[in-house]
Amino acid sequence: MKHSESLLLVMILLLGSISGQAQGKLLSPTDAQDVRKSISEAAKSVSSVEARFTQTKELSVISEKIISKGDFYFKKEKLLRWEYTDPFPYLIILNNDRIYVKDEDKENHISLQSNKVFREVNNILIGAVQGTLLSDTKNFQCSIIDLGNQFQATMVPLSPRIKETLSEIILYFNKNDYTVDKLVMREVSGDYTKIEFSDRKVNQDISDAKFIIP
Amino acid sequence: MRNLLSLNIILFLCLTACNPVNKSQLSSSGETSFKVPVWSSPFLKAYNKALFRTSLNIADKHLTGISIIKRTSDSSFHFTFANEIGMTYFDMELYRNKFKPDYIFDPLDKKSFLKVLQRDFSVLFFSFSEGKPTRKYIQKGSGEAVYMYLGLNLYVWMDIRQNTLTGLAGWSNYFDAIIVKFREYENGFPGEIQIENPRIGMTLTFNVLGH
Repeated sequence: MKHSESLLLVMILLLGSISGQAQGKLLSPTDAQDVRKSISEAAKSVSSVEARFTQTKELSVISEKIISKGDFYFKKEKLLRWEYTDPFPYLIILNNDRIYVKDEDKENHISLQSNKVFREVNNILIGAVQGTLLSDTKNFQCSIIDLGNQFQATMVPLSPRIKETLSEIILYFNKNDYTVDKLVMREVSGDYTKIEFSDRKVNQDISDAKFIIP
Repeated sequence: MRNLLSLNIILFLCLTACNPVNKSQLSSSGETSFKVPVWSSPFLKAYNKALFRTSLNIADKHLTGISIIKRTSDSSFHFTFANEIGMTYFDMELYRNKFKPDYIFDPLDKKSFLKVLQRDFSVLFFSFSEGKPTRKYIQKGSGEAVYMYLGLNLYVWMDIRQNTLTGLAGWSNYFDAIIVKFREYENGFPGEIQIENPRIGMTLTFNVLGH
């Protein structure tokens, strides 16, 4: 999987929701279906999300952490801005079928239509935006645990392409509004990356200029 | 006799081709006797760990992200390189003459590439002044002193006034020829380290983010 494909995959997953690992009650298939339906319904009412994020990569072998911070913007239908500010600026914009990455002075444009893998991932993206990612039984095996104030959805990739990189994705959904509080991506290497959202603003006006690809 | 001459020519061409140093940019120091400074890799001097903004360019691949290099013993370092969103490219333990991979990003998991990378890190982390015969040159333009270690296939650039290592170039075969540049020293450690493997078109750059 190429670097840019990994980026897109993670962005897609971020749009979908949240999760993690903790003690709790594993929901029955019927209850899990109800939660998935609630999350899907809640997602339909979300037209935009703006939030700060803190990303922590845990390095298991040497017990070290790499921490990055930035701003996250999402606007329906398929507009995303993922802007790192610390420890250095790095920008990813997804605008419908195009992806733009800016790293210092280097810019990279990627077309979804020109790449079969991107098209496949784009289909997942649409599912995430529409709140149906948790119901994507073709690409993920999903289990949901009730943690009290959160639902933890553990998604095990079934697609060989995703399994190359990630062993599981854990999404933590806030029970109040079914939005994602935290995302954990566990890699096949054993390392994991945790992304926590804060200062979240839902359905506030975000200028389209944020998503313009130069 | 003819075979021996041919062999010598081939050997000469091979050694010349392996050398990544542009010798036309070096002039003789003119010194008949000189003191070779004591030097070592910045990673061998009271180094524990550091975080680097990192980029790797090879062929059509341009990988960027953050890496951490941690000294794990007197004779080993741990190197982890991940992209901006946290997905790992490399996770490996490095020793002077070998490495132990914990994870390699699949498209880069090529034996020949990793062999060059292992050699790069060996030169970067473990080089130090050894008691070998040397020749001294002067780098045209910068005026840096350049020491060529006769038995090691190794060139060393020194800023004599600051007593800092500014460059290394070495090779053990045609493909693993390496040029390392150390720039922007701060508190005895370079702010930027660039590794170039000209034969395979690879450039690996580290910019310090923090210690």
